[in-house]
Amino acid sequence: MLTYDVLIIGSGGAGLYAALESRRQEEISVAVVSKVYATRSHTGAAQGGVNAALATLDPSDTWLDHCFDTVKGADYLADQDAVEVMCREAPMVVREMEHWGCPFSRTDDGRIAQRPFGGASKPRACYSADKVGHVILHTLYEQGIKYGVNYFNEWFVLSLLHNGSRCLGVTALDVRSGRLHAIRAKAVVLATGGHGRIYWLCTSNALGNTGDGPAIAYRAGIPLKDMEFVQFHPTGLRRTGILVSEGARGEGGHLLNVEGERFMFRYAPEKMELAPRDLVCRAIETEVRNGKGGPDGEVFLDITHLGAERISERLPQIRQLCIKFEDIDPVEEPIPIKPTAHYSMGGIHTDDCGRTPIQGIYAAGECGCISVHGANRLGGNSLLDILVFGRRAGRDALQYARGVDFAPMPEGFLEADQAFIDSLIQGDGSENIAEIRHRMGEVMAQKVGVYRNGKDLAQAIEAIRELQERLSRARVRDHSRSFNTELVASLELRNMLSLAEVIAVCAQERRETRGAHFREDFPERDDQHWLKHTMASLGSDGCPRLSLSPVAITRFKPGTRTY
Amino acid sequence: MATPLNIERQKVEANIRVHRFNPEHDRAPYFDVFKVEVETGMTVLEVLQVIKETQDSTLTFRASCRSSICGSCAVRINEKPVLACSTQVIPTLVAFWKSSITVSPLKGLPNIRDLVVDIDPALEKLSRLHPYLMENKEWIPETLEHESLMSREELKTFDRNTDCILCACCFSTCSAVSVDPGYAGPFSLAKAYRFSADPRDSFKRPRMQAAQDYGLWSCAQCRKCITVCPKDTRPAVAIQRLRKISIDDGIHNTPGSRRAKAYMNDVAKFGQVNKPILPVVVNGPKGWAAVEAEEGYLRKHGLTHSLQAPRLPGQPHVARICQRVRELTQNMTKKRTALRPSNEESKPHRAEEEGIRDE
Repeated sequence: MLTYDVLIIGSGGAGLYAALESRRQEEISVAVVSKVYATRSHTGAAQGGVNAALATLDPSDTWLDHCFDTVKGADYLADQDAVEVMCREAPMVVREMEHWGCPFSRTDDGRIAQRPFGGASKPRACYSADKVGHVILHTLYEQGIKYGVNYFNEWFVLSLLHNGSRCLGVTALDVRSGRLHAIRAKAVVLATGGHGRIYWLCTSNALGNTGDGPAIAYRAGIPLKDMEFVQFHPTGLRRTGILVSEGARGEGGHLLNVEGERFMFRYAPEKMELAPRDLVCRAIETEVRNGKGGPDGEVFLDITHLGAERISERLPQIRQLCIKFEDIDPVEEPIPIKPTAHYSMGGIHTDDCGRTPIQGIYAAGECGCISVHGANRLGGNSLLDILVFGRRAGRDALQYARGVDFAPMPEGFLEADQAFIDSLIQGDGSENIAEIRHRMGEVMAQKVGVYRNGKDLAQAIEAIRELQERLSRARVRDHSRSFNTELVASLELRNMLSLAEVIAVCAQERRETRGAHFREDFPERDDQHWLKHTMASLGSDGCPRLSLSPVAITRFKPGTRTY
Repeated sequence: MATPLNIERQKVEANIRVHRFNPEHDRAPYFDVFKVEVETGMTVLEVLQVIKETQDSTLTFRASCRSSICGSCAVRINEKPVLACSTQVIPTLVAFWKSSITVSPLKGLPNIRDLVVDIDPALEKLSRLHPYLMENKEWIPETLEHESLMSREELKTFDRNTDCILCACCFSTCSAVSVDPGYAGPFSLAKAYRFSADPRDSFKRPRMQAAQDYGLWSCAQCRKCITVCPKDTRPAVAIQRLRKISIDDGIHNTPGSRRAKAYMNDVAKFGQVNKPILPVVVNGPKGWAAVEAEEGYLRKHGLTHSLQAPRLPGQPHVARICQRVRELTQNMTKKRTALRPSNEESKPHRAEEEGIRDE
C-alpha cells in the first residue's frame, strides 16, 4: 500500500506551501495528491494582490490596521485571534515568497510595490502586474522541484479514512489508469480550494472548484463552518463568469439595463457604479427580476463613451478579455455581465493551525474555515490566507507526524468507494449527470444566490434533495477505465450536491443579513442572536445537523460596516 | 433618453471535427464530426463541453480555469496549438472560410486519450534545467525582516518569461523537438533564462551546463514558438539571450559558440563562410561524415570538391570592417568593465546593457 507520513490533498498555494514545509526534514515523507497538475490549480487565477502591512507606500501602515480592515470587512464574524495571526505573519510569508524568486512588481527604490484595494484603509496589496496568483503558484511549484516534492497528479480523492479519533489516510482514484488506491498517512492536509462550481455556470471559479475537500470531510463526520457565506462579484462575463475587474467601473464605466438605462441611480445615487460589491450585485439582480435584464439574465457594462484611446491605454486587459472570451469589443458595444459566485468564505472547521476535530486531519486555504474571512472576504486576503495557513498547517502536520506511529488500518476500506463507482458505471439508471448539474446551478443561483428568503431556501433544499435522489439513478455512459472524465464529473457532482444542501440549510437557519448573506425577510444584522458561527455536521439520517459556536472577539467591538 | 440596447446575437451551425482515440479499443486514431449550434461568444472549450454534455459523454479533454491562465486545455485547432478556452469559434470559422474546425491533441507528446496528451515528458525535461531560484546569499537578506531589492529594469529583463503557464503549445510546434529527442523544448530553456537573468539567483553555472546538455544550441531560431505562445512570452528570444549569457560566461567549448567564432574568422579571412569544412569546425571529428557525404554527392554530379572556400574579391575590405568591429567591441568591453560599479545592487543586467534586440 502507498504510505506517506504526511499527505497533502490539493496543489494550489496552500497545498504547495504546506508541502514545502517538509523541505528540511528528510526523515518525513510527504506527497501531494491533486486532481490536476500543480500549475493548473485555481490559485493561478488570482490577479489583484496579496495583503501584507509592509508599509512600503504608507509608512504608517501596521498589521493592526490590516486586522481592523479584515474584521470590519468580515462584518465582525471573523475570529479576531486568527485574523491577528494572519496579519502579523503576512509580511513574513510575502518576503519568503520574494526570497524564493517571486517576481513582485517594484517601487522606484526596488522594494515590493503595493496598491490600494477595496475595503483596505491603506495601500497594502503586494502585486505582480495582474498575475500575482500565477507567479505565487509557479514560485511554489519551482521550489517544489528544487526540494523534490512528490506528486500524484490527476488522482481524485474519494474518502478520508479515520478511526473516529485519528487519521488513517485516504482513498483515491488514479484517473489515468482508472484504478482505486488507498494511501496510508499519519496526517492528511486538505487544501482543495473553494466550491463556487455549485453555482455551475454562474461562477468565476475553475471547473475543478467543486468543494471536494469539504465534501469528503463532511462525509467523514467533520463539521463544516459558516457555509452560507458565498461572495458574489457583480461583473462576471455573461457566458463564462470570468471576471471583468473593478477597474472598468473605476475608470468610469456605466451599468445599463436592457433598456439602456443607467439603473444605479435607483440604488446608490451618490456612489453609482462604485458602490460596494454586494450592493451592486443586488441592484443587478433587482433589475433582472423586474424584467430589465437580457435573455440570459445579464445587464451591461458600458465603457464605449471612454473612447478607444483611453480603453487601450487604461484597460487593455479588459478589452482583450472581452474579445477572447465573449467576442465583444468593448470599444464598440457594452459588455454583457452578471453577478458571479466568486469565493467561499465557509469550509472545514479548523483552528489557526489548520487542525480539525480529528487528530491528524488538517485543512487550509479556501476549503477550510478558521475563520479569518467571516461573512465577507476582503480583496487580497485570499492569497494571504493560503500562504499563512498553508504554512502553519504543513508545519503542524509534520510535527504531529514525527511524534506518532501509523494507526492500524481496518479491512475493506476500499469497498464502499468501489461499490459507489460500480453503481455509477453499471447502473441502468436513466438520469443524465449534465442535466442534474445544470439544474443544481440554476437552483443555487436563483434561490441561494445574491438574494435569499425563507420560502426560496425551503424550495431550494427540497430541489437539491430531489437532485441527490436523481444522482443515485444516474449512469456514467463512459465505461473506459483510462481517463474517464465523466466518472470524475459524477464524483464531483456528488460532492457539490452534499455542499449545496449544507449551504441552503445554513442559509435558511441564519435569520439575519450579514456580509455576503442577504435575507430579504431579515434585512438587518442581528448581533444578539447571530454573532455566531454556524456549524453543520452530517446527521445519522443523512441531513445536516446545525449548531452554533462563539466568535472570538478580542480587540474590536462589533460596529457598523459602512464605507 | 435611454435607448434600448441591441442584443441580437449571431447563431451558426458548425461542424466540429474532433480527434478520437481510446487505447482500450481503438487501434488507431480517427475523427468524429459533431454538429453544434454556435452562438456569438462561444469558445472552442464551450463547444467541447456542449458536445460532452449533449452528444457524446465519452469525449475526453482537459480543462480547468477557462480563463487562459492554467494551460490545461491546450489543443491544436486547425493544426495550430492554442488554448481551447480563449479561441472563439465564429471568428475561427470566418478566418478559415469554412463551416468546420478541426480539434486535435498537441503534437510531440504521447496521446493518452482523445485530446489528452501526457505532458510528463516535457515537465521531466523542465525539471532537469534547475528551473528554480537558488538563493544568492549576497543579494537576499538572511532573515525575513527585509525583502531583497531589485530595480524595475532588472525585473524587466525576465518579467515576460514569468508569464509562462506551461501549456506546452510551444513544445508542440517546435522544429527542434520534432527532430531531437534530447532537446529540452522552448518553455524549459526560457525558464532557464528567466532564472539565469535574475540577480537574486546563484545557480547560473550548473543551470547553464544543464542547458548545454539539453540542447541550448539545438534551437533553430525558427520562432514558431513565438507565434503560438498564448501568453506572448517569446521563448526563442529567451533562448537567444541564454546563449549570449553562456558565451559571455566563457562557455566556448560548444557547437554554437564554435560556429559563431568560425563565422567571424572566416568572413575576415575569405570574405565568406568556409562552408565545406564548417561541420568539422563546429562538431569536431564527427563532422567529417557530413563533409564526406557532400564530397560524394558532388563527385556523383561530376563536380570537384575543395576543403577551402575561395577568397572573394572584396575580402580585404571585409577584413578591414571586421578589424574595426573587433576594436570597437573591445573598447566597449573595456569601458564597461571600468564603469561597472562595485555596488552589486545597481549593477545593470548584462543582456539589457548590451542591447540584445528582441526582433
